[in-house]
This record gives sequence, structure tokens and C-alpha cells, in this order.
Amino acid sequence: MPPVINTKLCDGCTGREYQICVEHCPFDVFKSTEIGKPPLIARPNECWYENACVMDCPKRAINLRIPLPMHIVVK
Amino acid sequence: MKEEFKTCDVLVVGGGVAGMMAAIRAAEGGAKVIVAEKANTIRSGSAMMGVDHFRSYIPEYHGDFSEFKKALGKGQDAASFATKSTEYLKTVFENSALLVKKWEEWGIPIKYHGKYHFAGHTFPGDDPKMGGWLKISGMNIKPVLTEQSLNRSVEIVNRVMVFDLLKNKDNKVVGAMALHTRENIMVIFEANAVILSTGCVTGLYPNPTRAGYFNTCYPFLHSGDGRIMAYRAGAELADLELTRRHAGPKYLIKAGQASWVGVLRDREGNTVGPFLDKPDARYGDMTVEVNKEIFEEYRNQGKGPIYMDMSGITDKDYEEMLHYLSNQSGTAFLEHFKQTGVNLRNAAVEFTTFEHAVSNGIQFNHRGETGVNGLYAAGDESRGGLGLAATIGWKTGEHVAESVRSISSPGISGAESLIDDSIRLVKDIRTREVGACWQEAYAVLQQITNDYCGSVRSQSILEAGLDFLEKMKIRTRDTLKANDAHELMYCMQALNLMDLAELLFVAALDRKETRALHKRPDYPLTNPLLTGKKHIIKQKNGTPVTEWRNV
Repeated sequence: MPPVINTKLCDGCTGREYQICVEHCPFDVFKSTEIGKPPLIARPNECWYENACVMDCPKRAINLRIPLPMHIVVK
Repeated sequence: MKEEFKTCDVLVVGGGVAGMMAAIRAAEGGAKVIVAEKANTIRSGSAMMGVDHFRSYIPEYHGDFSEFKKALGKGQDAASFATKSTEYLKTVFENSALLVKKWEEWGIPIKYHGKYHFAGHTFPGDDPKMGGWLKISGMNIKPVLTEQSLNRSVEIVNRVMVFDLLKNKDNKVVGAMALHTRENIMVIFEANAVILSTGCVTGLYPNPTRAGYFNTCYPFLHSGDGRIMAYRAGAELADLELTRRHAGPKYLIKAGQASWVGVLRDREGNTVGPFLDKPDARYGDMTVEVNKEIFEEYRNQGKGPIYMDMSGITDKDYEEMLHYLSNQSGTAFLEHFKQTGVNLRNAAVEFTTFEHAVSNGIQFNHRGETGVNGLYAAGDESRGGLGLAATIGWKTGEHVAESVRSISSPGISGAESLIDDSIRLVKDIRTREVGACWQEAYAVLQQITNDYCGSVRSQSILEAGLDFLEKMKIRTRDTLKANDAHELMYCMQALNLMDLAELLFVAALDRKETRALHKRPDYPLTNPLLTGKKHIIKQKNGTPVTEWRNV
């Protein structure tokens, strides 16, 4: 599951017009719930690892878990 | 499926850098502009999470243009620059300084430690400044361009996929059809002019991670829809078969190799190329740009792997590399290295050659004109990169706003049957009880392109591939099934890609020579008579025809 939401940090974008990760993710990986609750990760395999959700989250509540076959080969 | 109608002077298809710059300028010219974007313009297009360079000519830094011009056309863009007209390049570099300064005013950081900084993509001995690779801190280009568009009353329609253009009975492009990617809505746009700026093509060839992940060099949403829509509308495409391959870290695939400041070395530590023996941010190791297939070639010769080796990098260059990797969509790389305990400062990261990609495409001039009435294109509809996308997008917007000023709405009369056909197709895909998912369509397409039009292409192989592709295209169209609007988008992308693949095969068959990555064992020589010519493909009476034309 590539984006991992830390539900302790995520405030579901309380007080905002929309949930930022849901709207900024180009690939619609997230699915909106209601404002104030963490969104769902609806399409984990459609993550492109560009990090938009991670960088744009006002609470820094999201991390990407890079799938094993995409780990970088380092000598 | 609900239908919605929207009317404007100028419809911009694809809100990346070219599209947003066109929209901003057309709106400044008084046009009512709509941007139709598949994702959200805040984070979309190849610049979604940043690009770290803006190819530009800044007179106070570069001096005389004729000297600057001499230095262009080295390195990785040599081939694509050779196919651009003098007028086109003149337009780009006459406007780049103005736009760089505008971007700076709008809040995109350009300067590094207080001044314009040119680096990378340069052979040692050459002056990095003269290649025009101005480094920028481009992580937030897209939010800034979105804000600037909205300030000029551009209407942004996010989460719609434009899948075909509409023409009226006078053969003028008068709008486009789109599908909402989250709801069951078809949107019909009526416009006096359409600017295509859908970016590069992704998904035509398989990516190296076979387990179904979106591990592609450019965003997986970029499906070349602009190219095939333009072709159907009568525009010319060129040199599709001169495919391109990028290179970068194995196995997390992303464009942006030039942000890495290391030296290519084999496993024993020997340098691979002749250019550098220690990392140097001024140049970058140009071995990659001389031959991006070198990683694959070394492997096939039993000499691989090759590493981008950062050992020996200076503190100053290391700081610079981290800064620009972050601004070239690389924050995921950096976090991954942190999570896996890699200290990039001394690391040797294995590099690989990525999948083939169609990067050439629509023929458009310095004002975006395609030769089809009402149809314009900009940006990576034919590869150019960020600087060219920004400047030609801008000039296209300016020109289109002037052109539509005196025209009253042409209406979409004449396009009804195309709309009806599309509604039927969409309904079939959405209501089939049993069928193939979009992933199947992508898989069959990619295995055909890879096996029959990949690294080895010959008459018999290409003919067999084309024959099978044509069969599978029909079967796919008659079998696809989408459970929701999101899957429907990918189904439509796959169908558009299959149409584009057909043109790729036709063009590859007709280029009876070996040139760069177009390798024809049956025609092993590069034909010098074809140097400086474009290979045009266009539609005539419903079938693709090709011709050669001087640049």
C-alpha cells in the first residue's frame, strides 16, 4: 500500500474546503471521506511515487512505502 | 451517462506547463478560456512535482545570440532541436528571458545563491552557461501557474479526459468530447479554437516492473491522446518511429537523469565514459547523453552493471545535487534512500535504460498552428522540454486569442454522428457484464509494441505485429469493460494508444533505414539522404499515408 497515512497526525483537513491529498493526487489513489476524517487509499497500485501527497500534506501525515520491486539498486 | 455542454473561445486540452502558459496568455488577450485537465492542474503534467531547468537565453548572461545558437544542439536534445525550424527556435529563445523573469515575479524561485545558475548537460571544456540549461527551483511551478490562470479568469475543469475532437461540416475543429474521471458525465466542449497540450506518451511500451505498478519515466496518465486526436482531425505527425529511451535509477523509474552529479562507473570502479573522473555539477556525466542504451548494452555484453557513483563529490556539489533532485520530482528518491539507510554522498546507484517512448508527434509551428483550421498544439505534443513548452505555449495562447477575437461561435453542427458513436462506445464499455479490464488492454498493447516494434524491427516482424495489433484493437474495443468512471478513463486511454501504435508500426515499416533507436536489421545503414528530413504521417481517406519532407 504505497501512501501510508499516519492517522495520529492526519486531521482529515479540518477547516479546509477539501482533503488536499485526495484532490492533489494526479492518479486518484485516494478516496474522499468526510472532512475531518482520514481519506481512504482506494487504488494503492496506481501510485506513481511522485510524492505529491507527501509534500502537500499540511500535517506531514503521509509517507510512501515504495513497493519491494521498485527499490533502488545501490552498490 | 449524463451530458454537459460547455462553451468557450479557446479550449486548452491538458493543463501542464504549455497548456497553462497558453491559457494565461490567451486570457490576457481577452479570450474566454477553459483548461480541460485529466488530473488537477495543481499537480499535473510532466512538471507535476517539479522540473529543475528552463532552457533559456538570457541576453545579459549570454551575449550575442549567434554565439549562443552555436552551442545548442549538443547532448540529448541534439536530435529534437535538429527537427525544429529556425523560426521556432528563434521564438523560443527570444521569449525565454521574458518568461523566466515573469516566473520569478510569480513566485517560482529561479536564482541559486542569488544568481542565475547554468549547469549540467554540458561536455567538459564547454561553458555550461552556453547550453542554456538554466537551473530553477521548480517544485511549485504547477500551483503557481494554476494561481496565475485563475487570476486571469481562466476556467479550469479538472478530472476530465478529452478523448476526441469535434469538427463541423466545414472541417474546422469546433470543440472536443471528454469524460469525467470520477462521475458518469460526458462533457461536450464547444470552442472556436482548441490547443492540444497533452504532453508526452506513456504506456505504449512495457515498464521494467512487470507486476502491474505505475513505474514509468513520465506520469502514467500521459497517453498521447493529443497526437491521435490531432491525426484523426487531419493534422500531420512526424517521426513517431524515432522512439526515445531515457535512463536513470534502477528500479524506481523517473526522468531527470541530469540532476544526478556522479560519474558512471562499472562494478570494479572503472569509468565508463571519457568525460569525467570525479563528480562535477557544472557538467554531469555526458556519457549518458551520448548513449542512453549504454546500460543495456553493457549488461548484454556481460560488462554491466553501471553505477552513477557519487563518491568524491564536493560538499558544494552535493548540496546542489540534493537541491535540484528535490526540484526535479526527486523527493521520493531522497526519502527512499533515507528509509533504506543509504548515504547518497558516497553511494553508487545502479542506472538502467528505460522503456522506449514515442516522443515526436504533432507538427506545429512557432505559433502553435497545425495546419488544421481551429487546431493548435504546444509543448511535448512534439518533444521540447520545459523551456520550449513554456515559450511556445505562451506564444500560441497569444496568437490564438488574436485569431478567435473576430469569430462568432461556429457551433458543433456536423459533429453529431461522432458524438453519437462515442456515446455508444462508452455505454458498451460501461454496461458489459463480462469483459476485459483496462489493464488487459495495456498488457496486450505493450507486448505487441515491445515484441514487434521494440529494439529490433524488420519488415516481416513489423508486418506480423501490425496485423496482430489491428486484430487485437478490434477485439479490445469489443471486449473492454469499465466498472466506474476512473476505469473508463484508462479504457479510453488504451484505445487511443492502440490507434497511435498502429501509426507507429506504419511509420516504422516505411523508414527503411537504421537511425538511432530505430534498428532495422534488414536495412542496417543510416541513409544520409534522409538526414534533415521529417517523416510525416497523416490521414488520407481514412488510412495513414507517409511522406518525407525537408525540415
